Formats: sequence, structure tokens, C-alpha cells
Amino acid sequence: MISLNEVFVEYDNGVRALKDLSLTVEKGEFAFVVGSTGSGKSTLLRLLYREMSPCQGTVIVNGEDVVDMKPSDVPFLRRRLGIVFQDFKLLPQKNLWENLAFALRVIGAQPKDIRRRIGDALALVGLTHRCDAFPNQMSGGEQQRAAIARALVNNPTLLIADEPTGNLDPDTSWEIMQLLDQINIRGATVLVATHDSQIVDRMKKRVIQLDAGHLIRDEHKGAYQHIES
Amino acid sequence: MNLSSAEFLIQEAFTGIRRNGLMAFASISTIALSLGILGAFVLVAFGANQFIASQIGKFEIAVYMNENATEQQTREVADKIAKIKDVANVAVLSKEEEWAQFKRANPNIESAGLQNNPLPYAIDIKVTDASRTTSIANKVRLMAGVHTVRDGREELARIMALARVVRGVSVSGVVVLLITATFIISNAIKLTLYARRREIRIMKLVGATNWFVRVPLIIEGIVFGAIGAFAAWALLRLGGAYVSQTVERLPFMAQFTCDIPSSILALSLIALGVVIGATGSFVSIRRFLNDT
Repeated sequence: MISLNEVFVEYDNGVRALKDLSLTVEKGEFAFVVGSTGSGKSTLLRLLYREMSPCQGTVIVNGEDVVDMKPSDVPFLRRRLGIVFQDFKLLPQKNLWENLAFALRVIGAQPKDIRRRIGDALALVGLTHRCDAFPNQMSGGEQQRAAIARALVNNPTLLIADEPTGNLDPDTSWEIMQLLDQINIRGATVLVATHDSQIVDRMKKRVIQLDAGHLIRDEHKGAYQHIES
Repeated sequence: MNLSSAEFLIQEAFTGIRRNGLMAFASISTIALSLGILGAFVLVAFGANQFIASQIGKFEIAVYMNENATEQQTREVADKIAKIKDVANVAVLSKEEEWAQFKRANPNIESAGLQNNPLPYAIDIKVTDASRTTSIANKVRLMAGVHTVRDGREELARIMALARVVRGVSVSGVVVLLITATFIISNAIKLTLYARRREIRIMKLVGATNWFVRVPLIIEGIVFGAIGAFAAWALLRLGGAYVSQTVERLPFMAQFTCDIPSSILALSLIALGVVIGATGSFVSIRRFLNDT
């Protein structure tokens, strides 16, 4: 599903965000990417939907080479992914329903399908009653769930979430994780960047740990901190 | 692109305008003012050029025959003049007509001792191209029986020079104002897009193609341009009515008219607004699309 091989990323200002990173995530997996701020978590996720490109190495997503991809093919890559952004990135001028509808319109879905799929996605995240609300009228937890609903609505095979519980209280965070777990059980590969240690410890999923751009741990059924056995 | 997508994109454009009301108002009023100033300048320049053309059109060449020239001789000369290129009209004035006219203008002339008609036969020439006046006059001077030719050379040269200046100022003014208007309008559009750059980025991140982002924004630009141009036209109509009321009271300005038909003015302003709106949007969006 995801395969990175000897990836180096260097920002324009000379900061090296990822160094010699190689990594594979299989179809149907649920994996956490952990590490302190600046360790390269967000950079890793951004490579996957081609918001940025590595200066060296290959990135394969859904069997496609993302690095050599033509700019005109990038929209089609993104349509097969569900992306939950750290800052939600909901369209401020559109209400919840329209935000989801826009994501579907972009992929050319028919109005009849749009209605059904939005209904399903909103039911799954528990926001059916909020479909008329604009992003600034929703709480943090609601916006987070709205962002997840939008990421889900086009039935992605890969769901990428950057700090999906970053601004939420522990109870709401746990709800969000349960939601992502459910999406994983339904068949989507899920990749979550977080530094919420409680959540990671409790979920007992694969943990990929980055430190200063290096992969320092890749452990199945891991915890946030490596426990010496 | 299928029909439902096209419908969606048009709908998106109008929702965008509605929900960004203040920015829409700012853009539209900028367009209205820029095009209004441009339109006012075009009207004034057009009027000035027409006024000068009408003054030049009034220039005539006056030909006075020798005192002993007969009507027959005068007519022969007039026929020859009529064959010269760029001569529009030739009129022979008889001695009697001229004398009658002269007496009407100077009623005391007979009592002053001038009893007999001292005037020679004369010919009035109107030309089609004022710049040829001097050369036509020179040809007429060489004809037999012609005593004097008056072509108002200096006055004509002066007014022709004025015409050139007015034309030059008009053309360069229109060009400068057009460039300025384009710049101001596309800047205003850039501002509305800048306010929505986040929105544009999000669209790209959920997988919108560049065209999918572009089309509603270009439609918005076109709508802004058309509404702004219409407002500019309405301003010019109102302002024009006021100005012409004032001008009518000034006798020396009586011939100063700008008779560009209102419908042509409206259509060209709207066409200009639409073109500037569309290209302004198209060019400005490029910057925001290339970010991701």
C-alpha cells in the first residue's frame, strides 16, 4: 500500500526533515507514526499525498510512484486517499453538508450517490444533525469528526490523519480513535501521526517512531515509549 | 466535464459571490470606477475630436476674380476647380448677390458715396480634406482671370496642429487609462482571491483539478466585470446628462457634442469589463494554484 525507499527530504531553508527513511505499510494495516515535534511525522504524511516531494528516494502509494507523478495526475492520487488534516481544513464558506458534497463533486459523483454517501459518512461520525452548521459554528471535536467524515466520504483505500486528536480532550480523542479503528476494520489502511502517548498505548497498534528525521523504531502492537524487555 | 459538473461549477460561482459579499462589493465598485473614468475620458476625447473636425470642415477657400471678368469666365474657372481632387463643393457668387449681401450688412454704404457695385465675381470652394487646402489654393491662383485666393492658411495650420495634439492626447490617454484600469481591476480580483487562498488550497488537497478550482472563480470575475461595467455606464449616463445640460448654456460650446450611441457605449464597456474580469481572474488564480 505504502512503500518508501531511502527517502531524504530537505526543506528550502536547509533543514533536513527525513534522512534515509525506508518503510512499508501493508494493505489493511493500522499504524501510528510517533515522535516529538519536528521529528518528521508531518513531512512523512505530506509525501504520501504529494504536498511535497523528496530530494532523493522513491515513494509508492497505491502502487503508483508519487515522486515522478505528473502535476496533472496529483488530483487523481488525492481522490483515492482520505486525508484528515491537523487544522481540519474545512471550507469556511460552506456548511458541513456542502463541505462533504464538494469532496464528492470534485471526483465527479452523481447527485444521487452524493446524498447517500454523505448520509452514511455523517451517520458514522455522528454528525447527521449538524449538516447545516458552518465550521465556525462547530466545536473542536465536531470539526475533527467533520474532517474525518470528509476524508471517508469517497471510500478511500488509505486514510491519512495528522494529529487527529491534537486539540481534543481525552474522552473525545478516544472516540475519534474508535472511529478510525472502525474505518480500519471496514478495510481501509489507516496511518495516524500523533504524539498522544495515552492513545497509542491503549490502541496497541503498529508504532513507527521517528526522531530527527530518522526511523528509530518500528514495532507491531507497540507502545508510545519503547519498553525494554 | 459532464452536465451536472458544469451546473455545479456555475452554482459554486454564485454561492461564492453571495458568501463573499463585501469582497464582491469592493471588486465591483473598483471595476465601476475604473471603467467609469476610462469611459468619461473616451467621451470627452471623442467630443473634442469631433468638435475640431467640425471646425476644420468649415474652412473654405475664397476666390475673387479680376474686376472685368465675366460670369461666363467665372463659370469656366469654377468648372476647372471642381475637377481638382478633394474639392467637395464649388459655388459661384454673382456680383449682384454679393452686392445685395454687402448692402444688407452695411446699410449706409450707398449714402457714403458707393453707388455702383465694385465687387468682382467670386467662387467659394469647400474641400473634403483640410490638409489639401493650401495645394488646391495654389492651383487656383495660376488659373486665368483669378485675382486673389484666400485660403486662411495660418488659421488652418494652427487648428490642424491643435487637432493633432488633441488626437495624440486622446489616444495616449485612453491607452494609459486602459492599462491602469486593467491593473487596478486585476489587483482587486487578486485581493478577493487572496482572501480565499485557504479555500483554494483546500480544494486542491481534496483532489480538485486546477480547472475545477478555476472555472467558478473565472465566472465570478466575468460577473463582477459585467456588473461593474454596467454601473460605470449608468454613472456616465447620469453624469453625461448633467454635463450636457450645463454645456448647452455655454454658446461657444454649442457644437461640442459627443454622440456615441448609448447602446454602443454600454456594450463596449460591458465587453471590456467581462474581458478584464475573466483574464484578471485567470492570471491571478495561477499564483494560488501553484502553491501545492
